[in-house]
Amino acid sequence: CPLFFRSLARQGLCLSRTPSLQISPLLCRHVAPMGTTAKEEMNKFWAKNAKLNRPMSPHLTIYRWSVPMMMSVTHRGTGIALSGAISTFALAALVLPGNYPFYLDLIHSLWVGPALIALAKIGITFPVSFHTYNGIRHLWWDIGKGFKIPEVYRTGYTVIGLSVLTSVAVAFLV
Amino acid sequence: MASIVRLSSVCRRGVKPLFFQTTLLARPLVVPHKYQEQPYQLTAKIHASQALYAGSGSKAASMHWTAERVLSIVLLAMGPVAYLHPGPVMDYSLAAALTLHGHWGIGQVLTDYVHGEAKIKMANAGLFLLSTVTFAGLCYFNYHDVGICKAVALLWSK
Repeated sequence: CPLFFRSLARQGLCLSRTPSLQISPLLCRHVAPMGTTAKEEMNKFWAKNAKLNRPMSPHLTIYRWSVPMMMSVTHRGTGIALSGAISTFALAALVLPGNYPFYLDLIHSLWVGPALIALAKIGITFPVSFHTYNGIRHLWWDIGKGFKIPEVYRTGYTVIGLSVLTSVAVAFLV
Repeated sequence: MASIVRLSSVCRRGVKPLFFQTTLLARPLVVPHKYQEQPYQLTAKIHASQALYAGSGSKAASMHWTAERVLSIVLLAMGPVAYLHPGPVMDYSLAAALTLHGHWGIGQVLTDYVHGEAKIKMANAGLFLLSTVTFAGLCYFNYHDVGICKAVALLWSK
């Protein structure tokens, strides 16, 4: 029975490594030597293909778009946008003269109506809401839950729904 | 104890463990009696240790991953707390948490899209500079201006 001999060989390998102990299989370690790390392999891939001047295969332009895919892109997009906004704000605080209430009044004097103000509020709240709710969804995945495809879609639609609701609520009710 | 239970429950379902430990997960395999001198279990060993296969023995990447998730949860909690107890403590905590979360997040984006030793180094250096300036700016705002909590409140007062 080949399975038995393979197991025995493994056992034998383990035994030879720590001969003085009564080996519990649980304490035994496999040696599965791999010469390179994943990172090294990735770098080698990029280096080789860049050196050969190979074009990249079409991906975003040909792959069928799906809701989970778009949500993932949006999560990244909102993350980058929010980070950029925070950095811009911080830089402005350092560079511009005057203080925050001054600039807030300045901006408000430029607004031409409540519609624009509401739009601006939604424009700020939606990225924050979406990124937050989808972030929770990510954490849910991180503990190993919700990977079945129907669950992915269900949690996805929940995130979208909640984001829209929160944005509208915060923009109009607060 | 809880982690061992967790791992074994994950193992039974055949899902790859997410929290990397160096302990082995074992699925017992019983061998026909005539092959055994003394009864013992042969086990098929499944490695949960990322470090062993990596060859470098470093847990840095794994710890970074965990730290990212912990920070995300802390940042989540900060929202309601800042709403209920605005003030300098929350202002500076938010400044730190937001900056670090953004720094690590953009770091992942760079890892995904930037390739080549030199480009990676430059991009990460640029990010580090940006994050430093961001944190400095937010602290400056907290100290010399109204602060983050008040700023959000004012924004919504109109």
